Amino acid sequence: MFEIRRCEEGIVLSGRFDASQVERAREVFDEVTEACLVDFEALSYISSGGLGLLLGTEKRLREKGQQLTLKHMSSHIREVFQYAGLDMIFRIE
Amino acid sequence: MAIRQKSRMEIVCKRELGSIENIFAFINTFVLEHHLSEATSYALGLAIEEIYVNMVRYNLGNPNDIMIQLRADQDKVVVTLTDSDVEPFDITKFTPKSLDRPLAEREPGGLGIHLVRAFMDEVDYEYENRQSRITLTKYLGKANV
Repeated sequence: MFEIRRCEEGIVLSGRFDASQVERAREVFDEVTEACLVDFEALSYISSGGLGLLLGTEKRLREKGQQLTLKHMSSHIREVFQYAGLDMIFRIE
Repeated sequence: MAIRQKSRMEIVCKRELGSIENIFAFINTFVLEHHLSEATSYALGLAIEEIYVNMVRYNLGNPNDIMIQLRADQDKVVVTLTDSDVEPFDITKFTPKSLDRPLAEREPGGLGIHLVRAFMDEVDYEYENRQSRITLTKYLGKANV
């Protein structure tokens, strides 16, 4: 089960972020207009649909001189970012 | 880790993203039955989801269901996704755009197929009688320790 929620620091993701959850997540990410932390600690899975949404959000923010910071990524998810060449694009803590 | 007993499971899915929940439950059952590692489970889930979503998105009006088969055999897991009454699309010949381009030039298109190739050891494609069959093989080497 996938959950996404806003908190004081930014956005918290949990569960499995597959293609069927992208539109739901888009509603939250589309509201992000400035630098934002995205907490991956409770996220167990992400696929290209979720990566595409993050990539689109990052592009939009960079045009304003802002960016996302992704934190607490599991080793499997970090591997997905590496294979997708996204570890060099995003700020990952 | 080697699988001692051959076994096969299959699921027939409606052509809609809502089927993904059932597909992951199906994969999870297979993973538990064969004591596969978390890394192998992730790779199978990712590869199956990416191919399935492509089949759904590029043939939206097609009324046929999509069949997914998982087979455990000695030192490997073989996944087959079969789609009927479709035009050919040989994913083994698809070349994703370079992944080392700067952010402004990056697009999400093709990323899924790239990830399938990265996480699976073999990707094969067959097309016959308007039926596409994609076969993915994952060897249970270090990734399943």
